[in-house]
Formats: sequence, C-alpha cells, structure tokens
Amino acid sequence: MADISTPAALSPRGAGALPAVGAKRRRSARLSQRINMAVGLVSIPLFLMVWQLIAQARIVNPILFPAPTEVARAAMEWVTSGLFVEDAVASLKRVATGYFVGSVVGVGCGLLTGRSAFFSGLLGPLFQVLRPIPPIAFVSIVILWFGLSEGGKVFLIVWGVFFTVWLSTHLGVQKVDQGLVRAAQMLGTPRRRLVGEVVLLSALPFIVVGLRTAVGISFYTLVAAELAGAFAGIFYRIQLAQQNMQTGLVFAGLAALGLISFIADRCFAMMAQRLVWWR
Amino acid sequence: MIRKPVPVPLREGGEVEIDVRDVTIAFERDGGELVPAVDRVSFQVRRGEFICLLGPSGCGKSTLLNAVAGFETPYEGEVVVGTKVVTGPGPDRGVVFQQPRLFPWKSVRANVAHGPRMAGKSRADAGAIADELIEMVGLSRSAKALPHTLSGGMQQRVAIARALANRPNILLMDEPFGALDAQTRTVMQEGLLRLWAQLDTTILFVTHDIDEAVLLADRVLVMSAGPGRIVRDLAVDLPRPRTIETTLGARFQALRRECLDLIRQQSQKAFEGTHDA
Repeated sequence: MADISTPAALSPRGAGALPAVGAKRRRSARLSQRINMAVGLVSIPLFLMVWQLIAQARIVNPILFPAPTEVARAAMEWVTSGLFVEDAVASLKRVATGYFVGSVVGVGCGLLTGRSAFFSGLLGPLFQVLRPIPPIAFVSIVILWFGLSEGGKVFLIVWGVFFTVWLSTHLGVQKVDQGLVRAAQMLGTPRRRLVGEVVLLSALPFIVVGLRTAVGISFYTLVAAELAGAFAGIFYRIQLAQQNMQTGLVFAGLAALGLISFIADRCFAMMAQRLVWWR
Repeated sequence: MIRKPVPVPLREGGEVEIDVRDVTIAFERDGGELVPAVDRVSFQVRRGEFICLLGPSGCGKSTLLNAVAGFETPYEGEVVVGTKVVTGPGPDRGVVFQQPRLFPWKSVRANVAHGPRMAGKSRADAGAIADELIEMVGLSRSAKALPHTLSGGMQQRVAIARALANRPNILLMDEPFGALDAQTRTVMQEGLLRLWAQLDTTILFVTHDIDEAVLLADRVLVMSAGPGRIVRDLAVDLPRPRTIETTLGARFQALRRECLDLIRQQSQKAFEGTHDA
C-alpha cells in the first residue's frame, strides 16, 4: 500500500493522461460549437419548411395563410412591376427626413436641458408628459392639420424619434465627467467651447444609444405615418393588398418592412462603432 | 465676519507667486450646517519653489489646492496668484489630478496640444509644443496613441505634459502618483524632479505620503485634520539633485521622523477630540 499516494497509482493511464484528456475536451468543445452554428443556419429554412408544409396540408385557409412560395411569387411580382422601388423610396424618404429632423432637434434640446437647470425646469416636465403618447394616437389630428401631405407623415416620425434622442442626450449631458470639465477649464477652454470640446463628446456614447433606438422607432412610426393616408410606401402597399385580399403581397410587405429595418439597424451599429472611435 | 489678513513675513529671495490669505473653506452639510474643511490657512509660495502639502486624508489639503486652482471658492479669505485674486480656473495654473483625466477621444498629442489650441495657437504651433513636451516625458513613441491604450504611469506623464503645455507659472499636483504602484511612483518622482529642474515652474504638490513629500519638496507644509490647518512649515535642506538614493541618508530619515511625529500627534489629537465630542 506504499504507492497509494503517487498520482500514477490514482490515474489508470499514468502521467501521459493529462494532455490526452485536454485535447479530447477541446475537440468536443469545438464540435458542440460547430453544431450550434449549424443549428443557427437552418433556423430560418426550417421555419419556412414547416410553414410550407402546413400551408400545403390545407390545415388552414390558404387565402388567409399563403405558403412561402406564394409569398415569394407576390414579392417577385412586386419587384418586377417597379412598384417595390417606388414604395421603398417613398417610405425611406419619410423615415430619413423624420429621423434626421427628430435627431437634430432632440440632440439640441438635450444639450439645452442637460446643461441648464432653467431649461430643464421649463421643458423637462412638458417633454415627460408628451413622451409616452404613442405617435399613432396623433394620426387623426395630423390628417386634420396636414391633410394628406408629406409634412404630416414626417411630423409623426419626428415625434417618435425626438423624445428618445432628447432623453438619451439629456441623461448623457448630465452624466458628463466633471473631472474632464475641470481638466478642460484649467487648460483655458472658454465656457462657450466646453460643449463642443468636452460635453458633446463625453455624452456621445449615450447619444448613440438613443440614436440607435430611434432607428427602430422611426420604422414603427412609419406604419402610423402611412396610415394617415399615402399614395406610395411599404405599409401603404400592405394596406392596399389587404383590401384586395392579396395576402401573399401582405406577407411580402411585412417581410420587406422587417428586412429594411433590420438592415438599417445593422448599418447604424457599424457606424456607431466609428462614431465612438475611442472605445 | 471678515478677518484682517495676517501678514506673513517674506523669507529671503524670490517673488511671491502664490499667496494664500487667511482662507477658510466650508461645506454645507445636509442640515444646512457649515462644516469647515480648511480653517484660516495662510501661506506663501515663492517663484520656482517646490512645496508639498502633507497631511492625513480628509485634512482639506486637496480642497486647499482646489482653491488655488480656482475650482473652489473660499468662504472667507482669498488666494492671490501673481497680482490677481483667484476667481476661477485658468491656463496660468496647470493642474495634475490624482486620476489622469485625459480626454479619451483625443490622441496623446492632441491632449497635450489642447491648451495651446485654446490659447489661440495654430495647429502646427500647438503640435510643436506638444511634441517637445511629449519628448520631455519620454512618450514620443506613443504620441498618436489613444489614452486608454497606455498604462497608468504613462497616462499620468501625459497629464503632466498637458498641464505644462500652456507654460504655466504654477503647476498644481493633487496626489498625482497616489494611484500608481510603488516602482512606477519612484520613477515618476525622479522624473518630476528632473523636469522641474529644467523648467522654472512653481509646484504645489499635495500628498499623504511622508517619504514623497520629503524627497520632493523645498518646504513641507504639514496639515492637521478636522478642520485643516497648517501646523508646521518644515524646510527640507537636502541637497539637489535628489534621487531615490537620497531617501537612504540620515538627514532624510531625521526629516521623515519629524513629519511622522507631527502627523502622529495630529492623529492622536483628532482621536481624542472625537472622544470629547
């Protein structure tokens, strides 16, 4: 029983066992990683296949619940007729204009209320009361104000974007590192240049989060905007298709809306990394 | 109540660069009660001197430095720098904080060039000033790097270069090496002494580290806690240039001992004071 304390006696394969076990574990870890990746790749095709099977089995009404092949056919027709480009351009124009105006005004107001207790007191409560009102609730009054013009649609998107950007800028400005402000002051930075040199950049990570959230919001609000009467646009097309019982086109429209908003978000995420270049 | 400033006799040589006159700084507690952090402190610093404010944490030494920097307004008394009463921060007084506080979005070079740029210098001139100072602190190879890619010691060297870029008469340092490890701290102390020998800058340096104060300073102003007062103005008569070897000498040890005793007395007093209250 003398050798019971030696490691060799405890391990059946002796000293050489350690690296062998390690390599095996690493291999199995890599394998499970690959399996998870493969599962990720089949997720959408699998979903489409199940959908196709259900539609073809006629478990549900195929007019209300068209098969993916029917959706694809409708989408192709939409694209080849040239209407898709027209709709996409009309929608993107509204989103871009509304997003731009809402962001600029939002950042401006955020700097104002974040820096000055006076403006924070004056505008803060008002913004906080207006902020939770969903843009869609304004559709009826917007039609009265703007008629069917583009102004009303852009107004709704501005409304949706503004509050998010304002709030994130306001918070970012309030959380500005006072140490950096002091450092700038002792280096002789004049008061009027503090905002450009320190405050805005210091708040930028917060502002970027607000701007990214606002990308999603601007697409939600697009739906409300095109509900307020339009002559082109992706959600306009969806409504029209619904009235004509073209359910394939309805689904194609939904997919287009999802895809465009997804791409916009990805693009913004890539840009955001460059915007906050020092992180 | 406004007290008359007590004139402090000028010692030999040098013009007075910093004149702290009877300064009291108080903070408001939650109940609205005023608590003095610094109580009727007066001292003078002559041009080119290296002064250390030494005291236990919470003795108001940083508050006093902030009053000279212009970040803190005295409740009573005033701070005169040169001929002007301090009313706010300014480029004539460079500050090095305990944390580097570099602009994270600017390169090392742009951080150092910030002061000259704000003073209206052209991009090229400001860049040239920055390059010279970056070389003096030995960071030429990192001039284009962003601050977060540098070590703590390197960042603090950039902060020193940045504070010197406006060619300030006065450099205010608030425990600048407190957050560094012991080895880096020693290197930084020797580096600062060399830099100071090259420039004719007046330095007011806050620390709670006795060895650091005695190694660096011409005079150590020892402070007491709660409220902060200066209890001793100790001249350090060690020859220069000083290096880390200086700390091994008998004279250094004697001065160190003197500071230690003073601070121990003060802590003892503060301890007994809390028992009385």
